[in-house]
Amino acid sequence: MGNFFLSKKQNVSELSTFYSFLIGFVIALMIGTIILIIQEKNPLETFSLMFRLSLGSVNSFTSSLNKAVPLILAGLGISIINSVKFWNIGAEGQIFFGAIAVNYIYINTQVTNSTMLIFVLLISGFVGGAICILIPAITKVFFGVNEIITTLLTNYIAIGITIYLINGPWKDPGSLNFPAAEYIGEEVYLPTIFGKLSFGFIVCITFTVIAFYLKNKSIFGYELRIAGGSELTAIYAGINAKQKAFIAMLIGGGFAGLAGGIELLGQTHRLSTGISQGFGYTAIIVAAITGMRPIGIFLVGCLFGALSIGGSVIQTVGVSTYIADIIQASTLMGALISQFFFNYEIKRKENA
Amino acid sequence: MLDIQLIGLLNATLQAATLLFIAALGELITEKSGILNLGVEGMIAIGAVSGFMTAINTENIYLAIIVGILSSAAFASIHALVTVLLKQDQTVSGLILTILGLALSSLMGKEYRGKKLNVKIESLSNNNEPSNFIEVLMSQNIVFYIALILMISVSYLLQNTLFGRRLQAVGEDSKAADSMGLKVNRTQFIATCIGGAFAGLSGVYLTLSYVPYWTDNMTSGRGWIALALVIFGGWKPYRTALGALLFGFLEALVPRLQTYGFDLNPYIVKITPYIITIFILVILTIYKGGRTGAPKNIGIPFFRENR
Repeated sequence: MGNFFLSKKQNVSELSTFYSFLIGFVIALMIGTIILIIQEKNPLETFSLMFRLSLGSVNSFTSSLNKAVPLILAGLGISIINSVKFWNIGAEGQIFFGAIAVNYIYINTQVTNSTMLIFVLLISGFVGGAICILIPAITKVFFGVNEIITTLLTNYIAIGITIYLINGPWKDPGSLNFPAAEYIGEEVYLPTIFGKLSFGFIVCITFTVIAFYLKNKSIFGYELRIAGGSELTAIYAGINAKQKAFIAMLIGGGFAGLAGGIELLGQTHRLSTGISQGFGYTAIIVAAITGMRPIGIFLVGCLFGALSIGGSVIQTVGVSTYIADIIQASTLMGALISQFFFNYEIKRKENA
Repeated sequence: MLDIQLIGLLNATLQAATLLFIAALGELITEKSGILNLGVEGMIAIGAVSGFMTAINTENIYLAIIVGILSSAAFASIHALVTVLLKQDQTVSGLILTILGLALSSLMGKEYRGKKLNVKIESLSNNNEPSNFIEVLMSQNIVFYIALILMISVSYLLQNTLFGRRLQAVGEDSKAADSMGLKVNRTQFIATCIGGAFAGLSGVYLTLSYVPYWTDNMTSGRGWIALALVIFGGWKPYRTALGALLFGFLEALVPRLQTYGFDLNPYIVKITPYIITIFILVILTIYKGGRTGAPKNIGIPFFRENR
């Protein structure tokens, strides 16, 4: 190796992220195939079953889109926070906190107009997510405490609080085997549009556009990029980097919290540990794989939503649901590896 | 004679601390070389499940420990490949390792959930009712002693040997280290795999001794607490051990508070270790004001051409 060195390519195509995603996805499918063969399952049959059950009919296709909603919203939140080069590993907890906030406001509010109430509840979800990231945001921005660890730990805290609530103050006495809070009233269910597609998907599209605008077209997004760059540049530009970073973290947490609210109002209809099945972690993969681009997050989120639906239904034929997780994580790993070949070339030393 | 409850607390503290410390020490070595590996949680899970599977199938505890260590080291080599050789983002790669490790371990351990283990890691003495501090120490199993030996030897290695000095040079300033003729890539690759091996040992301790059984996601955030411990210990082995003892004590104390007469909600009690971890991290970071002792090159890929 001594005679070689790495050189960063100058004009890397914008599409390289897309190509490396495709390569990563192929690698992941190969890894999935190997695992299925080891488990003595027919890979072709399993994959076609996954495909049919996630995209094959209007109902399954629209369920896949519903499943994409939390992945996309949490992924957008992660990408907004990443504008200032911070990480949010706490989307899982923020999803739970969003749902907790929605349930809290639902129990304690007197609003009778259901459209108005749904609107209020969705906002509460957003606020819940922002509350969840408040401590990591304050400690990171103002004291420099490692946000990767603090946001991650808030996941355990948020899920712990959820378990406390559904076994304690909010416990549904009718739910014996599976601890959960009482069902919300049908008047606040998110309406379905067609098939199984929930109104949550429309909210999701709206927020994708908002995130795209916020990150790429607005002054705030520009300020965020400066705040995430060098400290001096921010000072010269007259930008209060700490304030911008703090707001970005709260907004990012809010996006994930909104996802939790939508899950509660549109899917589970009651607070339980089933509000999120690792959506916050999958969202990290979705955000990272697209290079934190909102439109990419939307598309990959839809694909991964279908994968998750496919992964959960193949349990019925005895294939582990973790296959979907492994394919998602391997896609990112494969994409990272192929990114290297797009971004670097190996050169021989001239004087060697 | 010590109070029986105090003995139980002491015992649980040492066990919880051992588990956290070994994983933290491994991460410390990796980070000293300038590589951040956020995959500790996943690596512990891989070591835990592969060790447990080996123990069930072969009933050979030593083989199980070795298999657990080697599988985690091999798993960590993925991170080494992606970040050291291919220069990709260490945060992203480490997170994938955690997600992949948890999913893969759940997949592998599917048939082993709830199975009973017939073998156990041996202790120095087979005293089941230790009555004083020495006897509690003696009743710990060999992994505890391995942890002690690792603590002393890693500290010595880092301070007093050429290998340790080179490792730290790479982590502090990889370009300078490279121009001095040190093999930066090789050092970082090895350090990452060593970190994986340590996490693997921590994992087998979890499934073969601490709990001992297998269930999905049983690492329950310990890998992340180990990461926090490295910061807590200021990248120094003895201080990391001290931190592990403190966290081990909290993990042991909190569920016992109720038996001591405190009326606490068990669900709230479960989340206190995570709250305390955040709290301590915050206090420590404010107190040290930036002088954390972190290796300067941590997270920054090394390029020969930048020389």
